[in-house]
Amino acid sequence: MSRALVMHPKDNVATVLEDIAPEQNLEIEGNEKTSTIIATEAIPFGHKIALRKIRSNANVLKYGEVIGTATQEIPVGSHVHVHNIKSTRG
Amino acid sequence: MARKKATPTFWGYRRPEGPPGGRNHLAIVSGMDNSNPIVRRIGSLVRDATPVNTSFGRALMGEDEAQHWRVMGHTAAHPNVGAAIIVSLEPKSANAIAEVAARTSPWMPIEAVNIQEIGGTLSTTSHVVELATKLSDYLATAKRVRCEMGELTIGAECGGSDTTSGVISNPVTGMVADRVVEAGGSVIFSETLEIVGAEHLLARRAADRKTARRIIDSARRAVDYAESIGVDFIGSNPAPDNIRGGLSSIEEKSLGAIKKAGSHPIVEIVGVGERPSKKGTIFADAPCAGVENISSLAASGAQAIVFSTGIGNPIGHPISPTIKVTGNPRTARTMAENIDVDISGVMEGTMRIDEARDLLEKELTAVMSGKLTTSELLGETELTVSRAALSL
Repeated sequence: MSRALVMHPKDNVATVLEDIAPEQNLEIEGNEKTSTIIATEAIPFGHKIALRKIRSNANVLKYGEVIGTATQEIPVGSHVHVHNIKSTRG
Repeated sequence: MARKKATPTFWGYRRPEGPPGGRNHLAIVSGMDNSNPIVRRIGSLVRDATPVNTSFGRALMGEDEAQHWRVMGHTAAHPNVGAAIIVSLEPKSANAIAEVAARTSPWMPIEAVNIQEIGGTLSTTSHVVELATKLSDYLATAKRVRCEMGELTIGAECGGSDTTSGVISNPVTGMVADRVVEAGGSVIFSETLEIVGAEHLLARRAADRKTARRIIDSARRAVDYAESIGVDFIGSNPAPDNIRGGLSSIEEKSLGAIKKAGSHPIVEIVGVGERPSKKGTIFADAPCAGVENISSLAASGAQAIVFSTGIGNPIGHPISPTIKVTGNPRTARTMAENIDVDISGVMEGTMRIDEARDLLEKELTAVMSGKLTTSELLGETELTVSRAALSL
């Protein structure tokens, strides 16, 4: 099965380890328990997938830290990138 | 119930004082660029001599001169060096570097030689060969003894970074760094420009307010300098190729780089090549470029350097063995002779992240016990000293 790595238990995104097609099932690794998630859209290698629904203006967490805030509501399984999150550094 | 894993040990050279070495180099150290040819020649004439070349060194002033002497002196007095000969053009620099080295490792036999007083290439070469053969004889009796992981200071560097660096090789390097710190040792990481964007997050990890302020200040100095030469660093990061690679913000990019230093509080900040006074996680305010950075980390006392790479870089340090680790399967294949630890199985699903950590930790103790790194085997080693100012 295709895989995504989660860097910290607090994270709401994971990094996909290969190009992912819509509706593809992914195994999430890195936490104590391995879980699965379905991608809702295409996600290129090295890009991020939402592990939970992220509300608009909510923090996006990777490495257990804030890497930006959501500019719109991001449904679970979506591609998380510059089109729907922005840096907090302006 | 799982038994707690014993802390690994390594076989090193115990010194009369200070940390043990993983090598017992007879270092022939250049004081200036103009002394490099003689130093290289000694390396080819005396089997056990390790030439340590430098960049610049002539006509330096003020802080620049102090930084040069500090880096070269601390390199000569490195725990992996058993004896050192400083070779420089004139007496002032040769003696200044030898003094820094003697202050740092008072137990070490150190000779200072200058070309002007000895007189020319041939006489200096012959004189240094004579000194080197005597010191080589003295070093030959040294024996390795069992040393503790907590006696280690490792350097953490990332170069030739790509997507795999931020999610595989840097986090795995950080896990090993954490193990070293938990055993009572230290990790030094640096690359000031790479903390920019996440310096506010890094500052929160500082052990005290002064260290937090210095983290913020060092990032600001780097950004201000970039601006003074017309570069908007924050505005231009992540760069278009970073964005194509999946990085969405400067915080994300910097956090991926910082990950190589593990997760413990930052106890101290040092300048280029300065020796820390504390144990634990140390930040060195030093430039990012690979050779400059490993030169600073080694001068700060890193007995070994873990060099995390994505797209690859062959270089290592002449004194501090440099362990190349990659999570990129293509690099592991195409640059195999330059890679010490291949953890690309994490990418391909054949290796777990904790297995990757154990593999890197095992390589670290093996290298500290005498196993040669790829850069040592191939002679792919170099040193350069960062400049504090413009040349005049």
